[in-house]
Amino acid sequence: MLMPKKVKHRKHHRGRMRGKAYRGSDLNFGEFGLQAMEPAWITARQIEAGRIAISRHVKRKGKMWIRVFPWKPVTKKPTEVRMGKGKGDPEFWVDVIKPGRIIYELEGVPEDIAKEAMRLAAFKFPIKTRFITRHNEVLR
Amino acid sequence: MDNTVKCEKRDQFGKNAARRLRREHKVPAVLYGANIDSVPLTLEKKDIFSILKSESGENTLFSLQYGSETSNAMIKMLQKDPVSDQLIHVDLIQIVMDEEIKVDVPLELVGTAVGVKSEGGFIDFITREVEIECLPNNIPDSIAVDISALHLNQSLKIEDLPPMEGIRYITDSDQVIVLVQAPTAEKVEVEEEGEEDEAIEGEEGAKASEKEDEKD
Repeated sequence: MLMPKKVKHRKHHRGRMRGKAYRGSDLNFGEFGLQAMEPAWITARQIEAGRIAISRHVKRKGKMWIRVFPWKPVTKKPTEVRMGKGKGDPEFWVDVIKPGRIIYELEGVPEDIAKEAMRLAAFKFPIKTRFITRHNEVLR
Repeated sequence: MDNTVKCEKRDQFGKNAARRLRREHKVPAVLYGANIDSVPLTLEKKDIFSILKSESGENTLFSLQYGSETSNAMIKMLQKDPVSDQLIHVDLIQIVMDEEIKVDVPLELVGTAVGVKSEGGFIDFITREVEIECLPNNIPDSIAVDISALHLNQSLKIEDLPPMEGIRYITDSDQVIVLVQAPTAEKVEVEEEGEEDEAIEGEEGAKASEKEDEKD
């Protein structure tokens, strides 16, 4: 699973998820992409599950890019421990996703296969997503 | 250049005025160039859409009429809302017709590579636009790249593009445009933002959680 090799601070504040992703919201590498439409904490497990879903559906053809990385540690207190006595230990890693963020990009497969692969990957996330293509860019 | 876009000078600024404009199917814009002060403008969205739908797309040259003045212009940058896909703002650049300009021109792949047809590879289209320098009237709509002779693991670079009269390629000549790859191994590339440099202090943090993962 994805996680940072080194970190500056072991424990982060939780923070807020305001605004939209103006960076990382365009297709930069592939022809197809999966775009988040809601804000969320996406865990390393979810990213990995989505990656496996895509890679199984495209039968390891084509090329995939993961455009998110779980930089943020999430801490948890052990069960049956009283409140206080400091913050819990890092438990898992997440990335803070804002609406508009591209999660995966795909290249080298037909559109129908890419669309189905992204649909299967989208089930792994707790947010609404949409499938986008480079040639079908809409501007309103 | 047969396109003429009529627009108004904008005297109201800020997000409230901009939102009012967008509700009326208009879009705030700004015109700037080497020899002029920047001019805030209001454009009709449909004018911008018709320019974008034309064959030359964002590189379309058009004549811009605002107030009593007229100048040649091109779209420099478009800002859009990543969720609603609404056009938020347009940057226009004034063009002097006898001065060379730098623009990005899309590359179009022509043909099917041998490596794809008979060797089971797939096309990795790495560089989709090339930066060129030329006179405004010489800007091509797109540059065709013939990939039909490419075998597996072969690539085309910027230096392989056909020389065109009056056009100079600015993009690095070693840059790979297209590569025929074999789909044998699972290819996953993680795009990492430059945040690694700041990692110095709490190295134990990651290591500790790694150990915990191993226990699991």
